[in-house]
Amino acid sequence: MTLPAHTVERWTSLSLKLGVWISGGLMVIGLVSAALQSFAISLPKDNPTLGALLRNVFSGSLDPVTTMFLGLVLLMLTPFLRVITALAGFAAEKDWKFVVVSLIVFLMLIGELVYSLYR
Amino acid sequence: MTLTSFLILLLGGVATGTIGAMLGLGGGVFLIPFLVIVFNLPMHQAIATSIVAVIATSSAGAAMNLERQTVNIRLGMLLETATVTGAVFGGVTANYLSNYVLAKIFATLLLIVSFIMIRRNRRNNNEETIHLDGVLPGSFKDDAKGEVVTYTVKRVPALMAVSLLAGNISGLLGVGGGIFKVPAMHIISGIPMKGATATSNFMIGVTAAASAFIYFSHGHLNPLIGSTAALGVLGGSFLGVRLSRKVKSNVLTWIFAIVLLVASVQLYLK
Repeated sequence: MTLPAHTVERWTSLSLKLGVWISGGLMVIGLVSAALQSFAISLPKDNPTLGALLRNVFSGSLDPVTTMFLGLVLLMLTPFLRVITALAGFAAEKDWKFVVVSLIVFLMLIGELVYSLYR
Repeated sequence: MTLTSFLILLLGGVATGTIGAMLGLGGGVFLIPFLVIVFNLPMHQAIATSIVAVIATSSAGAAMNLERQTVNIRLGMLLETATVTGAVFGGVTANYLSNYVLAKIFATLLLIVSFIMIRRNRRNNNEETIHLDGVLPGSFKDDAKGEVVTYTVKRVPALMAVSLLAGNISGLLGVGGGIFKVPAMHIISGIPMKGATATSNFMIGVTAAASAFIYFSHGHLNPLIGSTAALGVLGGSFLGVRLSRKVKSNVLTWIFAIVLLVASVQLYLK
């Protein structure tokens, strides 16, 4: 099977659009809900952990603050998704040199994240 | 937050996103002082909001630029290995030089680069010099010129070295690496200004992603302020990419040179 030209660019663009639209949509819903309460919502002292955020989502308690946090976290995860998609795109194009480059970027990103969170 | 402050913040985000997407910058140079001065936000919260804004500018802008092939994705991925390495070893540099000295060195550097860009633009009668004997070829349609621009990348090792440096100091000084990468891509490697800004815009989101979670885990991200600024920036980025298609490359170079001057003054005053 021959892939259409610029597969990696199209896939990567799609992954970014997905991240932007979903996270943007959640932030809009959260902000509109907050605006309906005249922005008089109580903000937590600390940002929730990812686990706490997911627990809130799955328990169905999607208050404005949780919705906005969820949107922000999904936006922050979008670059990670973009690197993985680029890696898959290069693999589909059989450009192995750039599969390795993408893998290096991904591993460094994860390494930097883990190191920074636990130092 | 009142409705008025919500609208002011949203507009601030739109302005940051527009400039950032046009010039391949994160826009922290403008957004951080805006948040601190207008919204009286603590510095850490302002930086956390700015980092989210960088991701928003990069994601929205790159999604559009990739479709039009303005981004040189292979060059971007290659340079990301250098910027992330630079960011990881930021602490090493901090052991040798104080932030004060670093800020003054790079303020001077930005000033020099700004003058080089203006001088080259004037000397070449506002025309870009394209090299076709390099590597990692790219091509895109320049709407302002109405023609397809094809180019290659020269002096990749030197560009990698600048990217390493950009990653290294961006974390230390709180400025986006784009301000160093765009001129380097344009001046050292002969990448057309539109290709350089789009590729830089593509890269900055990844550099910001890791630090975003650090600020988030430390509780510095205010959901109301972060969401409002991010939505404004997303809207501004769409506008910025559309504007950059219409603007001529030499005008983009002039705007970039002026932004470099502003950033240089800001670093001197820091």
